[in-house]
Amino acid sequence: MHRGIFSVLIGGKAGEGVKKAAQVIAQIAMDRDNFIFQADDYQSAIRGAHNFSIVSICRERLYSAYKSVQLIVSFDKKSVLKHNSSLKEGGIHFCDEQDAIEGCIALPLNRLMKEHYTSGANLSLSAVAIFARLAGLDKDELEELIRAEFRRNQDENISFAKAIYDELAALDISLSCDLKNPGVSAPRKGYTGNQLISLGAWAAGLDSYYSYPMTPASSILHFYARYRDELGVVAIHTESELAAANMAIGAILAGSKAAVGSSGGGIALMQEAFSLAGMVEAPLLMFLSSRPGPATGASTYSAQEDLNFALYQGHGEFPRIVASPDSYERALSLSAELLDLAWESQSPAILLTEKHLSESMYNMDLDASSLPQSDPVMKEPASPYNRYAFADDGVSPIKYPGEGNAEAGDVIKWNSNEHTEDGVRADDADEITAMKDKRKKKQELINKLSKSYQRVAEYGEGEMLVFAYGSTVLELREAQKYLDFKIVAPIYLDPFPDEELEEYRGKKAVVVEHSANPNFAGYLKAKLGLEVIKDVLRYDGRPYDADELVNILKEVKDA
Amino acid sequence: MRNLTTNKENTWCPGCGNFGIFAAVKRSIESLVEQGEPMENIVMSCGIGCHGKMFDYLDISGIFGLHGRAASSASGIKIANPNLKVIVFGGDGDSMGEGLEHTLFAAKRNIDITLILHNNGTYGLTTGQASPLSETGYRGLSTPQGNLEAPFHSLGLIMEAGASFVARAYSARIPQLSELITQAVLHKGFSFIEVLQPCVSYNNTYDLYNSKTKNLDAMPASDEEAIKLAKDEEDIYLGIFRQQQRPVFDIEVQSKAKAMDRQERFAYLESRQF
Repeated sequence: MHRGIFSVLIGGKAGEGVKKAAQVIAQIAMDRDNFIFQADDYQSAIRGAHNFSIVSICRERLYSAYKSVQLIVSFDKKSVLKHNSSLKEGGIHFCDEQDAIEGCIALPLNRLMKEHYTSGANLSLSAVAIFARLAGLDKDELEELIRAEFRRNQDENISFAKAIYDELAALDISLSCDLKNPGVSAPRKGYTGNQLISLGAWAAGLDSYYSYPMTPASSILHFYARYRDELGVVAIHTESELAAANMAIGAILAGSKAAVGSSGGGIALMQEAFSLAGMVEAPLLMFLSSRPGPATGASTYSAQEDLNFALYQGHGEFPRIVASPDSYERALSLSAELLDLAWESQSPAILLTEKHLSESMYNMDLDASSLPQSDPVMKEPASPYNRYAFADDGVSPIKYPGEGNAEAGDVIKWNSNEHTEDGVRADDADEITAMKDKRKKKQELINKLSKSYQRVAEYGEGEMLVFAYGSTVLELREAQKYLDFKIVAPIYLDPFPDEELEEYRGKKAVVVEHSANPNFAGYLKAKLGLEVIKDVLRYDGRPYDADELVNILKEVKDA
Repeated sequence: MRNLTTNKENTWCPGCGNFGIFAAVKRSIESLVEQGEPMENIVMSCGIGCHGKMFDYLDISGIFGLHGRAASSASGIKIANPNLKVIVFGGDGDSMGEGLEHTLFAAKRNIDITLILHNNGTYGLTTGQASPLSETGYRGLSTPQGNLEAPFHSLGLIMEAGASFVARAYSARIPQLSELITQAVLHKGFSFIEVLQPCVSYNNTYDLYNSKTKNLDAMPASDEEAIKLAKDEEDIYLGIFRQQQRPVFDIEVQSKAKAMDRQERFAYLESRQF
């Protein structure tokens, strides 16, 4: 049933370059106008634990990787045993001569590696060479590729890779991966969701990012830190998430467009500061990339069990925005939208995503046309300045301290205590009510402002309705290639897109989500009176591939 | 010079050491402005506790943030705009307990903010529980049998953490405190002043400080000497224990890229392959 999809699985120990091999293979395919999707399955370890990466390659757009593969390269015995059953009919499983079991093709991977390296031995080159051979690259192309992709030990890498390439030439191998895709120009660069989230907020003016490393959000911090001097964004690895969120709010007070990010555990530590953002009316952008919990959970896997945590983030009452990208393109645009919305409404916003989108790779062109084109409209401050001046829409003009921003007579007070318009503490009953009413008004504004963006995505046609959000939508879109159904994917979760979803009120639908409890289904039932005919729940940390989803949805359809 | 006191009713107890700190800070701000610092560049950050009410009474810009996080909010302000002079008011429960990590990291980074530690050796606002700086045996509502823990030594901790300006003052000696605050604010790097502050309701230390405080003759010549003098219990020394120059975090951490507006960022996004 697969339309010309070629999938490669590389397995081995952490530290052996599994992910790097997959990235280079993906690059070979992208360079030849193919679409790719790369998903990495790894454990929380620097050395030794089993890791594997899958790259699926297709002449058409791919939204997910496939777990049944045509080519496996195993760097160790564990990988051989674990993945042999993933091989499709006609596929080949290469492994080291010491690890071979029936059905595998044994290659002298380790023996050749020892021969060709004096130091810095890199097994990942063997997988690159094998794929290059099957994809019809000649040795010059292989050498050029290695020079571009591997910075260190280039000569040894090339001689090792060529030796593996020659080993294959001596074998009679019928499998090939034809990468020719005439008439199509596919994007030549792969991006992870975290790169796109980082770039989207940056494009909309992000100035600073405060974070403490936590998988799967860490690569956002790494991205901003790496590009600090190129993009003009300050990235601070703080002493804790508590520090990150409070520093970000301080930065916002001084006029910096700031964001924070973490996974569930780290966001839990930021909860009090999230409430502070609600109280002081700081437009704090927060990235929440989920992994299975609770607590430390399964740190390198994917989950959607933080939906309610995001929706009800913080203590106390205050308006917020919560949205989740249903695609890679949306990761870029939504991150920009949320920064703008936060600033226009002076309210905190959460971009909710999952490890699956954060860390998997997809090829696309960076296109700013889907991003909000102009800076958010900011109100003119009046004189004398009051930080929390009452306004019809609840938004008080913002002014920053410092020469050039404020006058000597300005007093700009941001207060976590309930306060009067001037930012000084309030204890009087009427004053408390008045300021709570002011903040409450912003909810209506947020509803209105969010409508200028696409709040719901719908894909495909079919009698069966399937609701999902976040990266689960990617899994469903790949499955949609084989089965007719309609995907309805709310992008904005709070404010809930009632108007766009009104046509589905009371309708029968399937809900797919990566959590042990039907949290999203429950939310849809409450908001939309949806009649959920099947909760499809997966909570083992792994994504669905299209084959798995098609089987499940077919069963629902036939029931 | 405009009035630096708000109209908010003052609720510190009569005789509270906070009055001395309040008076000294106002004097320092006046002095800084006289020396040419724009008034609009002076910003404060407060923790939660009696000391935090400084925010309600001192009429300058800033943030009254979360308990323990005053140094964090202040650090964010300073990184966002290194031209600002950021004064942090922290209580001993706030800066040495709930938010100790931020105090130590601010010193470690040498970020150019000034932390004024209101050390009253108790949790005043929450009715006198033991603080991280309370003496062993201190009796309060949470330690009715006496505090079992030994107190932190704030100056020892902050010097070990790398603070580049370290001083001690006494809230009842306003001219000296004011002078130290001014010097601390003008110091390039993290500055820390422990202010001995009697709490008339729960830990009245006026007699102790009036009899035992003594000015340092000169800045100690070495870290060992500074820590020894700071920990002296016979004489409680006031003055500057350390003043050093080292790279300042909020300057070093800035991006070297030129500012780009939205359209420039869009164009760059589309042309640059990451």
